[in-house]
Amino acid sequence: MTPFWKWTTGVFLVLLLAAFLFLSKMAGSPKDVYGMVRYALPHMHRGTLKIGDDAPDARLLALDGSDHFHIRERTGGRPLVLIFGSYT
Amino acid sequence: MVEIYNDYKNHADFLTVYVREAHPTDEWQMKSNVKDDVCYAQPKTLGQRVAIANDFIKRFHYPIAFGIDDLNNAANDAYSAWPERFYIIDESGRVAYRGGMGPFHYDPDEVRAWLAARYGTVKHDAPAPASPGPAASLGSRK
Repeated sequence: MTPFWKWTTGVFLVLLLAAFLFLSKMAGSPKDVYGMVRYALPHMHRGTLKIGDDAPDARLLALDGSDHFHIRERTGGRPLVLIFGSYT
Repeated sequence: MVEIYNDYKNHADFLTVYVREAHPTDEWQMKSNVKDDVCYAQPKTLGQRVAIANDFIKRFHYPIAFGIDDLNNAANDAYSAWPERFYIIDESGRVAYRGGMGPFHYDPDEVRAWLAARYGTVKHDAPAPASPGPAASLGSRK
């Protein structure tokens, strides 16, 4: 390996290590970095919806586990605040 | 969010859309989940998702209307919601407010500001009750 490539590889590895350490500090631990990259990033999308767009509809299940309803059934008369999330 | 709901429920409707778990035990579980005893695997059936949602409501006496996303995550995908996000749909069925992606840009204050701009600020004389500190991404009691 020529000195140029050795140097480039070395710098790359140092930057990679620095990024990993920075992410570990931000996320909490190296295990959290792995979790973030493996499980979170593939599911996080900025999305393309903009203010003024028609609100998409989707079918949801009620808490009883059997009745369904659509998001659009709850729109109309008043503004509808949608809170997306989960327990964990 | 519950406080905002209580302040503005006479002016706007609220709907919680329950999506795929953010930190299940079989994926990226965080220490706070263990500390707060919020330990669930990613549901493989809709029944499991329903059960977890019901656990959440029971534990926190959550008053806001609830709808659970199907396992195909249609609502989540349509709104790019995961792990947590706010939207406000106006009376004509259009997006009036689009919140930032959670967790860092998930801001209940923005929802409150939107509602306050329309319906006025709701003042509270007493300090807001302390948050119970759940691991739940839905659990912001603001």
